[in-house]
Amino acid sequence: MESTEFSSDHLDVLRELMNIAMGNATASIADLLQAFGTMHIPHISISDMDGLKSYIEEAVPSDQHSYVTKQLFGGVFGGEFVFVMTNESAANLGHYLYDVDVPSDADILDAVIELTNILSSTIISRLTEELNTKVQFFPPSTEIISGNNLISQEETLNYHRIIIVSTVMEFQSHKISGQIFILTKDGMIQRLRELIDQKLEELYA
Amino acid sequence: MNYMLKQCNIVFDSLENGTLVVDEECVVWSWNKWLEINTGIEAESIIEKNLELFYPEVDYKGLQRKIRTTLRLNTPTFYDASLSNRFIQIPRHKITSSLLSFMQLQVTIAPYIPAEKKVMISIHDISDLHELKMTLQQRMKEIALLNSELQQDKQIINANLMIVKTDSGCEIVDATEAFCDFFGYTKGELIGGSLSRFYALDAGSDDFEQMKEVLRNKHRWSGEVEIITKNNDCVWMDTVISPFVDEYGEIISYTAIYHDITDKKRIEMLSVTDPLTKLFNRQKFDDVCRGMLMRRHWTKEYTFGLIIIDVDYFKKVNDTYGHQAGDSVLIEVSDILSQTVRTGDVLARWGGEEFVVLTPDVDSGKVLYAAEKLRRAIEMLEIPAVGKVTASFGVTVFVEGDTQESMLHRSDQALYRAKEKGRNRVESIFS
Repeated sequence: MESTEFSSDHLDVLRELMNIAMGNATASIADLLQAFGTMHIPHISISDMDGLKSYIEEAVPSDQHSYVTKQLFGGVFGGEFVFVMTNESAANLGHYLYDVDVPSDADILDAVIELTNILSSTIISRLTEELNTKVQFFPPSTEIISGNNLISQEETLNYHRIIIVSTVMEFQSHKISGQIFILTKDGMIQRLRELIDQKLEELYA
Repeated sequence: MNYMLKQCNIVFDSLENGTLVVDEECVVWSWNKWLEINTGIEAESIIEKNLELFYPEVDYKGLQRKIRTTLRLNTPTFYDASLSNRFIQIPRHKITSSLLSFMQLQVTIAPYIPAEKKVMISIHDISDLHELKMTLQQRMKEIALLNSELQQDKQIINANLMIVKTDSGCEIVDATEAFCDFFGYTKGELIGGSLSRFYALDAGSDDFEQMKEVLRNKHRWSGEVEIITKNNDCVWMDTVISPFVDEYGEIISYTAIYHDITDKKRIEMLSVTDPLTKLFNRQKFDDVCRGMLMRRHWTKEYTFGLIIIDVDYFKKVNDTYGHQAGDSVLIEVSDILSQTVRTGDVLARWGGEEFVVLTPDVDSGKVLYAAEKLRRAIEMLEIPAVGKVTASFGVTVFVEGDTQESMLHRSDQALYRAKEKGRNRVESIFS
């Protein structure tokens, strides 16, 4: 049976590719939204559902409402892109993008979707481009969640191996920040490993 | 319009969703049949014109930013579809529901001809889905409100009503805080224990068996029970126990609701108790005697007896040792009589130095034996400062046609005979 485990080499390559993708995202946001932000070095780990739940609980504030946008992406490498912003950050984003003092709920939601669109397209497109594969994006959906219970209860009962890629995006001058989670599981991990193997071969050929 | 766009329009017209092509300035280059039908705007009238002329309410700054993102990143962008429409408004003609007067749209902006800065905007009507979501949200709100009211009620019940839930085997599974507080237990100490262990009733007593029988028949039982608290205090509870059955009619649990009536019971007891001896008073004796006379099942071998007891030379005790000593004699005699009578016998102070005992379920032999036992018990008594006392006994049993007066008369005659024959003896008249 072929191993689905990631070696440290695989993780190093993925980390490097994510760095490139994040840089790409920052540049795109600066270009499209005229907002100059930074992205932290991504954290990459392989976990199970309980581990993911714990990780999210640590990363997302438990005492606030958050806008959680989830967008699926499909293809040889598929998964879920999750972008989490606190209420305050989302309101600041709505205010910034729609240029109104008090943005409406619809303004905020649309602004959050718009930023998620840009982040997911740039990060995932760049990552898949580097891995020589195509990606399809599905319409995102946003919900306002109280606390940090982002994973449904029944989901934690299923056993999945998950790759967690997470980072923090910040536009300090606009007081906007958010947590990005790129999650992929089971069969997709094997495919990602194969794509990275191909990339490694390509690099060392 | 270029050739490629014309060819694509044929495809667009066959789609079951709205499709339009616009450029970065929002000039329309394609407007499919679905849009023509649903917006009432002909393709000929809108093509090569700016969308803003037809839909001035749209936020064009936001739309142009999305178009630019789509073209720069060569990837689709989306409008949020969860709240109100932020793109064009398309009327909806649903009659059976009035939740949405305009279609709720899922809008995707995809790169079309990037070289010409043109994007394709796909519009999907998700109104039904959105309506369902709105209805669901409304129901969820209602449920949340009900839950909150329920929670408040539960808190009130928990804090104020003494309720215990048991399984079908009467093992406690839950108890309210009010119950725990009143009886001095923690919930942990109660759960898993048997409910009957708190009852002062004997497990085999008639009252207990009667309660079990009612519950076994899946009926609600209500009555007054004496319960023992953790501090071994006895309290009286007005109690309602309800069985709950499953769909097969099998009992799955019981709920017992208690209401403290100790004070009421205390007042009731005071009204039927002789203040000096703490025995039942004459009024209570009359009530019990009346109840026994009303029972129809007495026979010669299975009847009830009446014993009158009179302390011998009581006047002498009072004259010699004073009334306080006389009271002590009455209290000591009452205590020994209480300890000697059988469970189920009813002992009362008749007045002065006279006591009466009703003995159910006896024949003449048994009632004589019971009276003799009482006589001996008094005879054995050593009363401080007074010494020995004795009592005379008059005994009878119920016979067909008897009244309280007739029975009292016979036993009184028997008592007189005992006094005549020298006192400290039992005499009887049975008919």
